Amino acid sequence: MNDILLDVKAVSKRFGGVAALKGIDLVQHRGETLGMIGPNGSGKTTFVNVISGHTKPNSGTVSFDGRSVSGTNPFQIAKAGLTRTYQAVRVFGELTVRENVATALVDARDAASQEAVAEIADWLRITHRFDKPAGSLTLMEQRQVELLMRLVQKPKLMMLDEPVGGLSSAEVRTMIGVLSELKGRCTIFVIEHTMKVIRELADKVVVLMAGEKLAEGPPAQILADQRVIDKYLGTADA
Amino acid sequence: MTPVTEKKDLSLLAKGHGLPLACFAVVAFATPFLLSGNRYFAFVAGVTMIHILWASGMNLLYGYTGLMPLMFAGLAGISAYTVVGLTASGWSFWLALPVGALAASISGIILGLPSLRLKGFYFTLCSLVIQTVVTLGFIYFSGLTNGDTGISQIPLPSMGGGQPLSGLAYDLVLSAAAVIGVIVLIVIVKSTLGRRLIAIREDDELAGMLGINVTGYKMIAFFIGSLFAGVGGALYAPYIGFISPRSFDVLISMNIWLMVAFGGRGTIWGPVIGAILLAPLSFLLQEYYTVKDILYGLLIIAVIVLMPAGIAGGFLRKKKESAPPLDVPATPRGAK
Ligand SMILES: Nc1ncnc2c1ncn2[C@@H]1O[C@H](COP(=O)(O)OP(=O)(O)OP(=O)(O)O)[C@@H](O)[C@H]1O
Ligand SMILES: [Mg+2]
Repeated sequence: MNDILLDVKAVSKRFGGVAALKGIDLVQHRGETLGMIGPNGSGKTTFVNVISGHTKPNSGTVSFDGRSVSGTNPFQIAKAGLTRTYQAVRVFGELTVRENVATALVDARDAASQEAVAEIADWLRITHRFDKPAGSLTLMEQRQVELLMRLVQKPKLMMLDEPVGGLSSAEVRTMIGVLSELKGRCTIFVIEHTMKVIRELADKVVVLMAGEKLAEGPPAQILADQRVIDKYLGTADA
Repeated sequence: MTPVTEKKDLSLLAKGHGLPLACFAVVAFATPFLLSGNRYFAFVAGVTMIHILWASGMNLLYGYTGLMPLMFAGLAGISAYTVVGLTASGWSFWLALPVGALAASISGIILGLPSLRLKGFYFTLCSLVIQTVVTLGFIYFSGLTNGDTGISQIPLPSMGGGQPLSGLAYDLVLSAAAVIGVIVLIVIVKSTLGRRLIAIREDDELAGMLGINVTGYKMIAFFIGSLFAGVGGALYAPYIGFISPRSFDVLISMNIWLMVAFGGRGTIWGPVIGAILLAPLSFLLQEYYTVKDILYGLLIIAVIVLMPAGIAGGFLRKKKESAPPLDVPATPRGAK
C-alpha cells in the first residue's frame, strides 16, 4: 500500500489571534480509512475546509492524487475527485431529492449512469424519497442524500465531517453499516466524536489537539494511548 | 424511476410549458391587431411587451440565480444610448441593436463582478450604488446622451424598402421579442445551465463543492440577463421616441424587480403576469406621481411581508404539496 492519495505538508491556518492549525502533516493512502478525532475546536473541520478548498491556508501544501491542489477552487478540487460532507447536514432543501441528485450530476467529471444512480439510491434505501423536498426528510435521510449526491460523482476520496452527529443510536448502527460498505466504493476520511465509528471503520487514527497533531496510529493503539485518554477521551467531548 | 439526468431532446425542454407558451404567443401576437383601433392602448401593450422581456431577464438573475441586480435598468439604458448614438451616426437600427445589446451584456458582466464577493443583500446594496453611478454617467456624458434633457425625436427603425417600422408592425416586433425572451428563458431553465444556476441560488458553497464553477456561471447569468435588458432597451428607445437618464433610473430597476417579485420569482409565468399587471399600471398612473409612488411603496412592502414567493409562488406551493408522487415504485427495490 504505497499509493498515496492525499499528502498534506505543514498546513497552518490562523483566524485572527486563533491558530486553528499549526503545521499539520498528514498522509492518506488509497483505500485506507483515516479517522480524525480531537476535542471541540481542535481544528478538525478547519482541516477539511483547507483540503477541500473552502479555506485558504496561511502556509503549507496539499496534493491530491499526485497533483498539487493548493490554492485551487473547491469546484476544481471536486472535479479532481475529492468530495466532502458538512458537519451540519447540507442539501438543497427546497429541491426534491431527484433534483439534488441531478444537480450533483450536471458537472460531474465522470458521472454515474442512470442504472448506477438507481443502484446507489437503492443501496442507500432512499429511492422512495426521490420526489420529496430534501429539506423535509429526517436527518438520517438527508445524510443518505448527501452520500448519494457524492457517490454519483464517483469520487476518489470522501471526507466525512461527523457523519453520525445528531443521529439516534439505532441510526448510528445503520450508518456504520453504510460507511463500512462505502469503503468498497471510495477512500474515506472521517471526523468523529463517536469512538464506535472510529473503532469499527478506521485503519489509522489522527488525533488533533489545539491545532496540532497529538498522535497518529492504528485505532487500538491510539484509543489506549495514555496522552489521548488524558487530554481527550477522558473529557466530556468524546 | 424516471431518469435523473438531463434530457437533450429539445421538445422535452418545453415540457409542461407548451400550453401556456402557446396561449401566451397567441395573446401576444393577437393583442396588436385587437388594439389596432386605439393607438394609445396598443402603445401601452407594446411597452408591456418590453417589460415582459425585461422581467424575464431579471427573473433569470433574481429568480433563478439568486442575485438581485438593481442596476438592471441602467444596463438597458447603456444599450438604448448606444443604439440611439449609432443610428444617429448612420447605422441601421438592426445592426445597432445587437451591438447595443452586447454593450449591455459586457457592462452587465463587469458591473456584476461584485456579486462574486458580496452575498445577497450586500450585492443588492452595491448594485443600487452602481445604478446611481450609471445614471450619473448618463447625465455627465452629455456629449453622448444630451444629459438631463434627454434625446427626443428618435427616428423609427426602417423596414425593408426604407419604410419606417411603425404602428402595428413595431407592436408585432415587440410581441415577438417578448415571446422569444420567454422561450429562451424556458430553454435555459430546463437545461443543465438552469440546474447549475438554481443550485447556485440555493447554496453557492455547496454548488461549488459539487464541482460547479460558481464564478463562471454567475457571469454567464449576468451576460444573458443583461442581454435581455439590452434588447429591451434598444427596442424601447425608438418606440417611445424619447430617452433620458430618468428612463433608466433606479425606480425603473425597482419596478422591473417588483414585476418579478410580485409575479413570482423563479417561475416562468409569474414575472410575465407581474409585467402584464404592473407595466400598464405605471403607464396609466404616470400623471399621478404621488399616487403611483405610494402604491408602489405599498406593493413592495406587501410583496416582501405577505407573499415573498409572489402570486405564482403561492400557487405552485399549494400544488406541490397536494400532488402525489407519480413515478416512484410502490415498494422501493432497495427496501428489505
Ligand atoms: N471561520 C472562522 N473564523 C474564525 N474562527 C474560526 C473559523 N472557523 C474555525 N474557527 C476557530 O478555529 C478553531 C478550530 O475550529 P474547528 O471548527 O476546525 O474545530 P473542530 O475540531 O471541527 O471542532 P468541533 O469538534 O466542535 O467540530 C476554533 O477555535 C474555532 O473557533
Ligand atoms: Mg468540526
